[in-house]
Amino acid sequence: MKEQGMKKGFRSWLDERSGLSTIFRFMSEKTVPQHRHSIWYYTGSAILLFFAIQVITGFMLVFYYNPTLEGANQSVARIMTEVPLGWIIRSVHSWCSSFMIALVFIHLLSIWITKAYRKPRELTWMSGVFLLFVSLAFGFTGYLLPWDDLSLSATKVGTDIPRSIPGVGVWVTKLLRGGEDVTGDTLTRFFGFHVSILPVFLLAILAVHVYLIQKQGMSTPLAEEKKGEKMKELPFWPNFVYREMVVWLILTGILFSVAIFFPPSLHKAADLMAPAPEGIRPEWYFLFLFQMLKIFPAKILFINGDTLVVLLMLLGIVAFFFLPLIDNRPEERKGKFITVIAFLFIVYAAAMTVWSLL
Amino acid sequence: MIKKYRSIALLLMLISLHSFVLTGTGFAQQVIQEEKSGITQEEESQDKITPGAQNIKESIGIFVFVVWMWVAIFVLIYIMRLKIKEVDRLFEIRYLSEKKK
Repeated sequence: MKEQGMKKGFRSWLDERSGLSTIFRFMSEKTVPQHRHSIWYYTGSAILLFFAIQVITGFMLVFYYNPTLEGANQSVARIMTEVPLGWIIRSVHSWCSSFMIALVFIHLLSIWITKAYRKPRELTWMSGVFLLFVSLAFGFTGYLLPWDDLSLSATKVGTDIPRSIPGVGVWVTKLLRGGEDVTGDTLTRFFGFHVSILPVFLLAILAVHVYLIQKQGMSTPLAEEKKGEKMKELPFWPNFVYREMVVWLILTGILFSVAIFFPPSLHKAADLMAPAPEGIRPEWYFLFLFQMLKIFPAKILFINGDTLVVLLMLLGIVAFFFLPLIDNRPEERKGKFITVIAFLFIVYAAAMTVWSLL
Repeated sequence: MIKKYRSIALLLMLISLHSFVLTGTGFAQQVIQEEKSGITQEEESQDKITPGAQNIKESIGIFVFVVWMWVAIFVLIYIMRLKIKEVDRLFEIRYLSEKKK
């Protein structure tokens, strides 16, 4: 009895200072629409779960990692061979980044296809696109950190791409590399981006994104809205959160199983003077862009092929970012055409990725 | 209208395909040249660290961990299913009682 009183007292003390009960009340009043596309609602929280795993495993790895030219590869080798269960932690970190980026792509594509970015959710979409690019930047900077021959060559190619942008290109490449070429300075710079600059950006944008989702509520797909029927709704807390927990459990199990049975290997330390090794390849999520660069003609009319492809990419990124403003009449023909483009993009990216792997 | 969509889709396909048939690629040449001067796969595998269990004891330990992990996950999912049924029932009752009012 006394214990219960103490618990109640502590709860009211905490609530008075933090206002936690307001958050719980908000969560229990929040509802989630139930329809045949509800499965896509689970991708958002799954991304958050993977991000949390990335943070935890990243903290563990940073205790042993040495971001110097001499020590980087050696320290990763040490993590994999000497540190107890170090290879599993590194494998989970590596696989989790792939899982997370895959889910970010799925999340954005599902929003694109269901037209969830419709008014008033334009800013939610834009912050989501920002989060996609920050996630990709995490992947790109993290790929160099083992400092093996493959990661060095892939980074050389990757950081060379912005050079084709007219005007600012050379400056961007220099900014990324910390000089003219990929050197130890690039490694230090990428480590700085990976562990301090990008996390700050990601957390800030994530806060805005989550706030906007809470403010606007869950979107209903256009097709469901058109039916005009009263939609079944589920309370966010606890009904929806319990369902999300089941998804989290399954995903965590899959992640750990894959990480244990298929750990990534480590190649020999990069030699800045050595020729590039066979099979230079970026992470899978950049493969379609890489393949596009590979197959594009060197010159089209009087324009350099690389410049054209980079400009096309930039145009695509800008269009993707402003998609809710471009697709301002989603229920009309224009909207349907934009949905067709989404499907074409999926087919194109998948085909290019497969081609690159062949 | 469908014809219009088809023609636009065809145009997009042609744009994406045109580069496949043209020769003299920029980045491709660079990568192929770099690949040619690279070392052989055999030499490469000698310098590669493939992680994993160091001995039989460790590999059994890992296998047992994975089995226990999945057992725990299935038990937790079963418990969660019961909880979901319970909270859904409570929600339904409240929903129905509010409807009656």
